[in-house]
Amino acid sequence: MNKAAEVVIIGGGISGCSIAYNLAKKGVKDIIVVEKSFLASGSTGRCGAGIRMQWGTEQNCRLSKLSVEFFENANEELGYDRDIEFNQGGYLIVAGTEEENEQFKKNVELQNKLGIPSVYLTPKEAKEIIPHMDETKILGATFCEKDGHLNPFHTTEAYAKAAKRLGVEFLTFTEVTGIDTKCGRVIGVRTNKGYISTPIVVNAAGGYAKRIGEMAGIDIPVYAQRHQILVTEPVEPMQKPMYMGFSLNIYIQQTPHGSFIMGRGDDSEPTDLRITSSWQFLEEMAKTCCELLPPLRNLNIVRQWAGLYTMTEDAQPIYGAVEELEGFYLAVGFSGHGFMLAPATGLLMAETILGEETTIDISNLDIGRFKRNELVFESSVV
Amino acid sequence: MRIDNHPILDFKRGKEIRFIYDGKEMVGYEGDTIASALHAAGVRVLGYHHKTGRARGFYCAIGNCSSCLMTVNGKPNVRVCVEELKEGMVVETQRGKGELK
Repeated sequence: MNKAAEVVIIGGGISGCSIAYNLAKKGVKDIIVVEKSFLASGSTGRCGAGIRMQWGTEQNCRLSKLSVEFFENANEELGYDRDIEFNQGGYLIVAGTEEENEQFKKNVELQNKLGIPSVYLTPKEAKEIIPHMDETKILGATFCEKDGHLNPFHTTEAYAKAAKRLGVEFLTFTEVTGIDTKCGRVIGVRTNKGYISTPIVVNAAGGYAKRIGEMAGIDIPVYAQRHQILVTEPVEPMQKPMYMGFSLNIYIQQTPHGSFIMGRGDDSEPTDLRITSSWQFLEEMAKTCCELLPPLRNLNIVRQWAGLYTMTEDAQPIYGAVEELEGFYLAVGFSGHGFMLAPATGLLMAETILGEETTIDISNLDIGRFKRNELVFESSVV
Repeated sequence: MRIDNHPILDFKRGKEIRFIYDGKEMVGYEGDTIASALHAAGVRVLGYHHKTGRARGFYCAIGNCSSCLMTVNGKPNVRVCVEELKEGMVVETQRGKGELK
């Protein structure tokens, strides 16, 4: 297999598929998506798939609002013959410290100013939304009814099918082994199934983004950290919104099927691309969950799994071109919120690659910010 | 249906245990699981699929398959194939996925 393409996108997760769709929609021909396994096999298919607009920076609020509005109409927009299962049950974000509580009040003000319908709630009011919570463990909460969750496999498939109809080629089970450059420009991508000559490469490789960067001689300041999730047996629906706490370190939701899925962050998790499961996670997660939502202690755990967060120093993505290498673009380092930002990622990356003015300014999220020491901190992350 | 006489194996029968199954009084023996007592009493349908409503029976018998989930003493989703029978247990056929209280 030797091919030529206008654009090669490395990574068949939600970001890669969304970028491919948006480029194709803007009329770009000969787009190839290269995926080393199957679509959504990496972080996308392993993620919690929560979607929220409750953020602490204006930029994140805007990016996520654009994404939520897309998801609301995605079945029609993408012409999907099945259902991406966008379930807007809301997000209840709980404060565990006074500092967080104060920050949440400011966040709600910011969110409301930007048209995001979030509200601040007392612990008692929060308990009305999730009656099985122990409200004495929290100091306050914020709630946005338009937040929710999606089926990550269906959403990726919806993007991929729409992209295929627009002529995008998907090479699954094809692994990138090298990136060829000449005089500071990208000229081609080597894979285990053959060569693709191309002037433009988009790195949307999730946990493997750093390795892809190395192949092009670019040091991308990201690292892949393991994050784990466990799933319980299904019971009748009893919790509509996602329950999430940053200082309390938990996110937990009941899926449409009835199972609860939950995860937490842990700085001691390995960063060597491992996606094995650990008993430490099982123990800590169960403890946190039973303290905050006591009735759940009667549920059996069915299994657990892991995926990779691609972390940056400021927990914000890296978007855009790379100064040292023409034709090399990054959509990496989503730090655990790449799935929910995918509609924005696809649109803004397509605009960036085509040299158009971007719908939302993302110039501050370039790779250069780490050298310039202009990090963009966001406090609302697990 | 129980094996009372076996040419090679010897079965030591424990004492009788009374329990309630869907409102009916039943008898099992010490050492039974709930599922083995029900099976011996001729009960073949233990539950119904939450979506299709199809009958579900005794299947893996080792607590893996979830085919035998029943409500026991008010608690749903009990795998009766690995739950020991106790005197006075109230065992009910479960409809749906069970409510967590």
